[in-house]
Amino acid sequence: MDEQPGLSEQYRRVSAWPLFIALGLPIAEIGVLFGLVPIAIGGLLLFVGSIAGIVQESGYVERPWNLLAGLGGALVVLGAALALSQLPGFSPGAVLAALGSNGLVVRGVSIVVAGVIALGVGGAARFVEQEPI
Amino acid sequence: MASEQIALTLLMGALLVGVVAFITRVEDWRSYTPLAGGGGGTAEESGYAQDEKPGGLVRWLTTVDHKDIGMLYGTYAIVTFTVGGAMVMIMRTELLDPAATLISAQLYNGLLTSHGITMLFLFGTPIIAAFANYFVPLIIGADDMAFPRVNAIAFWLLPPGAVLIWAGFFVPGLAPAQTGWTMYAPLSVGVGAGTQGGAGVDLMLLGLHLTGVSATMGAINFIATIFIERAEDCTWANLDIFSWTILTQSGLILFAFPLLGSALVMLLLDRNFGTAFFAVEGGSPLLWQHLFWFFGHPEVYILFLPPAGLISLILPKFSGRKLFGFKFVVYSTLAIGVLSFGVWAHHMFSTGIDPRIRASFMAVSLAIAIPSAVKVFNWITTMWSGRVRLTAPMLFCIGTISNFIIGGITGVFLAAIPVDLVLHDTYYVVGHFHYIVMGVLGFMTFAGLYYWFPIFTGKMYQRTLAKWHFWLTFVGTQFTFFAMLLLGYLGMPRRYATYDFPIGPVDPVTALHQVATLGAFLIAIGFVIHIWNFIQSWSEGPVLDDEDPWDLKEINQYTREWRWHSRRLETTIADGSGEEDSDGEGERDLATDGGQDTDESDDSENVESTDS
Repeated sequence: MDEQPGLSEQYRRVSAWPLFIALGLPIAEIGVLFGLVPIAIGGLLLFVGSIAGIVQESGYVERPWNLLAGLGGALVVLGAALALSQLPGFSPGAVLAALGSNGLVVRGVSIVVAGVIALGVGGAARFVEQEPI
Repeated sequence: MASEQIALTLLMGALLVGVVAFITRVEDWRSYTPLAGGGGGTAEESGYAQDEKPGGLVRWLTTVDHKDIGMLYGTYAIVTFTVGGAMVMIMRTELLDPAATLISAQLYNGLLTSHGITMLFLFGTPIIAAFANYFVPLIIGADDMAFPRVNAIAFWLLPPGAVLIWAGFFVPGLAPAQTGWTMYAPLSVGVGAGTQGGAGVDLMLLGLHLTGVSATMGAINFIATIFIERAEDCTWANLDIFSWTILTQSGLILFAFPLLGSALVMLLLDRNFGTAFFAVEGGSPLLWQHLFWFFGHPEVYILFLPPAGLISLILPKFSGRKLFGFKFVVYSTLAIGVLSFGVWAHHMFSTGIDPRIRASFMAVSLAIAIPSAVKVFNWITTMWSGRVRLTAPMLFCIGTISNFIIGGITGVFLAAIPVDLVLHDTYYVVGHFHYIVMGVLGFMTFAGLYYWFPIFTGKMYQRTLAKWHFWLTFVGTQFTFFAMLLLGYLGMPRRYATYDFPIGPVDPVTALHQVATLGAFLIAIGFVIHIWNFIQSWSEGPVLDDEDPWDLKEINQYTREWRWHSRRLETTIADGSGEEDSDGEGERDLATDGGQDTDESDDSENVESTDS
């Protein structure tokens, strides 16, 4: 500012990600709190996707995919912990049975699903992306 | 049920696809200055620097420039102030007569809750962030905030927060929260037969949580900016008073708001997942009051300290003198910041807590009067023997000081246990804190908007309208809130939609309520004038080329943000991109609210001096 007055007006001062981070967080909160599975999954994906995007854009990482996969992994762990806390032991049958009766299991599974999608997209793109950066 | 799930899935899918499409579309201009370090240089973009900010709506949706975000915060806060004000106008109209004639008690309760939350969380904190975002980096000589993107995230969390907080009013099937802004358990836990168990309260709590996250992110940003982004010639010794108050306020936010967030999550868990944090058989409803007020009392100073900093900044400019006792004003700010965490139980004197604990909280609460009085005396002494110019921002500063004296001294009474036990939960408390939140925060918002209007807009406001605005607001404030103090003495309980009591002095209570409503209408008229003035002057006013509209150079107080403004004017003119001033005469007329005195016959502009 001091050396080149007025120039800051001309710098690129834009980022598309903050808006979507701020949109992803409340959508995810509403989805998880009320147990609305599609809203929870979509909101969480928007949230972690935007975090990966903004971190890459800021230059902290070169490509966003590892971070996206990592955040997806964190969601899987969190969601699984929540769902399993309600079950005596892990078995697909027990989870499916609890989905109809236990709201916390529904929420946990929706977080896991969002995590798996993020993990999948991040992991796949990590290997699919061929273009040099 | 299944079709709903499918519809929601499709909706979310469409949203995500839309987001991806938008991101890929804006990818074209996705190039940045290395704000966070480690990014690429800007050499390849330098050829088209002029095109770098996208135009139209996309610019405002994607900006990370602190000035743009300051403008967004300001616009948002004015909108929410209007909404919160409209809510209270309905309530005050309802209170014109003792019975519930205009609206139902349930709607009154909903409006009351939303008015409080809107004004404190959706207007108060954001309007301070507006000024701080725009001016702290300019004043301390920083290029931008330390974390520009975090800054943008903090702002964009607020609109969803507002939508969630107000959702109960407009979403079919939901009822607005009727918990009061303090959300006391067990009512807020959903116990009982009212609407408090509904999703409207959950959404309100989520919205509040978002605004808390937003405030915390903003606070971290301000602390980092003031610590590490200062220009070389901006040291701790000469850091300006506004930045000191923002730094202190950010510290308070950092310790207070995460606690609110945690308490809100606990409340949501109690409401939805069967936990017992605030249940009688669990953590007890009083736990909520302790947690809430450990946040809530610092919140008072979060809303008070920056406006106090604005007084300390603006008052000397129109007194012709430096701020008296600068160091002690800074010390008093820090002292208030520290003490504010040791007084929360004075909100709970009547809950039956241990009298020894109560007495210690009374002592600390009374002690806050000392740094507060230091500020007041320093402001008065700054004006003493000064060359006082009664411009609109100065009028609002002086009005604020008088409001603060009334609001502060009534607070001293309330801090005394015996008085509090009598006045607790009456209109006296409402009058007291409105003298602070409206009389200080509201007034200094207007002062700041007028003082920096030339920087925001490159224009000057219409001074006659501004003075109408001040006097209507000032008189209205006294009518409304002094009447509330008297209502409190008469024993009128707060938060009641009606006062058609079978016993008690109904006639004087009715008269005082009518005075309060009259005052509220005066404030509303003043606000309409303010908005009109703001919009018309901005859109139609002549361009102001004067780099020093307040004649600050004469008194050697031409501060950094005005120097930046001056350089911007020079750059704009050199670029040839600025609008030419075709109406020099009109411009000078408009520039004279305390600035250049171009019209000798205009008495209102003559400098008033207290020299004797």
